[in-house]
Amino acid sequence: MTFQRDLLASKIPVTIITGFLGAGKTTLVSKLIKHPDMNRVAVVINELGEIGIDNDLVSMSSENISLLSNGCICCSVRTDMQETMRELFAKRMVGEIPEFDRIIIETTGLADPAPILQTLLSDALFEAQFRLDGLVTLVDGFNGLMQIEQQMETCKQIAVADLILITKSDLLDNSGKEALELAIRSLNPQAPMLFVINGEIEPKRLMNLGLASSRSAEKTLGFLGSLLKSNNESTDSYLGDFAKRHNQGIKTVSLRFQDPFSWEAASAALELLTNLRGSDMLRVKGIMNIDGKPVVIQGVQHIFHPPVTLDEWPTDDHDTRIVFITKNIEAELIKSLFNAVGAITQNSESIKESN
Amino acid sequence: MLNTPTQNSRPDQTLSRNMTLVAHHELGGYGGMGEGIGMQKTADGRRILWLAHESGPKNFTVVDVTDPKNPKMILQTDLQSSQLRSNSLDVCGNLMVVAYQSKVLGDKDVGFDIFDITIPEQPKLLSHFDCSGPYSRGVHAVWFVDGKYVHMSSGAGDFQPKNPKDDQFYRIIDVSDPTKPVEAGRWWYPGTRVGDSEPEPKRLPGIFDTGFRAHNTNVFPSKPDRAYVGYIDGGAFVLDISDKSNIKVVSKWNHSPPLNGFIHTVLPLFDRGLWVVSDECVKDNGADWPKLIWMIDARDESNPVPIGTFPMPSFEVFGKRGGRFGAHNLHENYPSPLSFKSDTIIIGTFFNGGVRVFDISNPYRVEEVAYYVPGAPKLCPAGAIQLNEVFVDDRNLVYTTDRFGGGLYILEMNI
Repeated sequence: MTFQRDLLASKIPVTIITGFLGAGKTTLVSKLIKHPDMNRVAVVINELGEIGIDNDLVSMSSENISLLSNGCICCSVRTDMQETMRELFAKRMVGEIPEFDRIIIETTGLADPAPILQTLLSDALFEAQFRLDGLVTLVDGFNGLMQIEQQMETCKQIAVADLILITKSDLLDNSGKEALELAIRSLNPQAPMLFVINGEIEPKRLMNLGLASSRSAEKTLGFLGSLLKSNNESTDSYLGDFAKRHNQGIKTVSLRFQDPFSWEAASAALELLTNLRGSDMLRVKGIMNIDGKPVVIQGVQHIFHPPVTLDEWPTDDHDTRIVFITKNIEAELIKSLFNAVGAITQNSESIKESN
Repeated sequence: MLNTPTQNSRPDQTLSRNMTLVAHHELGGYGGMGEGIGMQKTADGRRILWLAHESGPKNFTVVDVTDPKNPKMILQTDLQSSQLRSNSLDVCGNLMVVAYQSKVLGDKDVGFDIFDITIPEQPKLLSHFDCSGPYSRGVHAVWFVDGKYVHMSSGAGDFQPKNPKDDQFYRIIDVSDPTKPVEAGRWWYPGTRVGDSEPEPKRLPGIFDTGFRAHNTNVFPSKPDRAYVGYIDGGAFVLDISDKSNIKVVSKWNHSPPLNGFIHTVLPLFDRGLWVVSDECVKDNGADWPKLIWMIDARDESNPVPIGTFPMPSFEVFGKRGGRFGAHNLHENYPSPLSFKSDTIIIGTFFNGGVRVFDISNPYRVEEVAYYVPGAPKLCPAGAIQLNEVFVDDRNLVYTTDRFGGGLYILEMNI
């Protein structure tokens, strides 16, 4: 008689938009908030002053929260992100602002998305109410290639992204586009890329990037990208020398394990990795076979989303499949760590049994 | 009665969280619906929804919801008199029981009808059970889930209450031969009937005196010796009905006084030893606030202990949003295979507070997980939606109805 709730589906999805200074975040966000499809979306903006909303303003519920005529709720960050998100949530609950079905957060130029994610996941209120839908990284089409070569921050932002938007693409010729695409691919081979001109984008392109339900369906693993379908370990061979030149040691490693893990082994392996090399583990996504059950994991650097146990396996493939985007960590190292931790915990279990 | 919208109470706005509208049907302009929703699956596989009306001129409305995105009204029937209302019905297999109550005492038409609904377009009347009498308004609510007994809140020809508000008591009617219903048992609050040796119970003051009479009378086939009865101002009763001719009180719990009465439903969650008890709000603009849903620890059924109430939406926002605001009907885990059943998810209607879904996994910390508050229906007299009744099917679809004109809303829960 017990109904199993889909705890993930009832959480409000959060999209984080990031990108290096000058990548065009302000242009994109100021277009986005006026789009008709932004009804019931709350957008958290760093500097409201930079975005002209006066003509679209319907009401101000407080000095930093405004309702636009399309139904979009615009919220500027007052002191810190945590306080702002709490205020949004509390006002929504008491009906002071209209309900919203989604939050989009614009980060400051230099911001690493990991601390924002940490804010969302380390606060008990947020963790129960919000889920990360996706990280969207804007790459400056004109300066992007140079930034990738010179700025580690840009590389990391690209590596962690679920979707990459190449802005100012009207300033690029075909060869420039190709070179930039290759450079981005060498850092993040799986995130879809879109070319954006003058900040024009359909809001739906920024949505439904992540896992939205713990009930298994055909598209459940879509957000993990194509790497999990085949058994390729890296794209280095395809990208050749180009990759080595541009990727600053960032590489994608996709691993597959046939034997199920125990909860103990899985969490020990992931904890060990994040404790030792957290800052070099840029992004982790995957599905793990834990005691036979399908468990979706994902993390950004040392921040891990709570694991989601799916109600059933989406396909007949019950192997553990994990994609790591790492900096200066070899595939073999991660693989042997997981195998070793798996073996150690298996031993301890068999000892327990024999006692 | 129309309410002036303020920034905090905009009855025109649809509010929702984790629920989406699948379809809305105005039911041909007669969308003022009562407290009965039943589902039937026909031999040819159609899912048919049977809906009771809040008041005349319509008797019941039949909607094909096989495709929930495209509900089709297939029948709407008329009452035989303008004094009558048929506020309650229940469906069990291909049988339907419809309650008839009158505005006037002594109306000969009150009682219940049993229909054979094998062909939903042509319900066939099998019998009428007469509940008329000089002091009877007839039947307010019926419970019919086993095909054998109708449990109901009703007056009777031979029943004279001391106070006219106490006319409807708990009656059990054996309908194992649906063409010949016969009374099998009855129970009333001691002291309410003329001739009772017990004193008349102390009434609630002024506008809160809504009567010592039965409302929902639930008996589950998995525990056929217990009746769970909301006895309005009398409280929540659990009755031992193992001997229907000699019904005994197992326990009673009441929050009024000091609160404002009207206990409506007692929903037992057998495996967990819990009861969920709902009040009914019966006054507009928050005049009888608070009307709540209660969590009762009933592991010892003889000693029910209230351990909390369900979280309510802000009174500041809804109290004066138009019409009533407060608890009312619950989805009652009907034993039918077509019904949603859960002892952790509770769904209820709150008039202008819409339909709300609660996770009671932790009974000490009930959590609201979804809601849907339709914007005010066209020409609605309360100025706001007044969701009255709710039924959830085995596809987890929520069917909820407006008390005045909004008709039927079909919703999906995203939980």
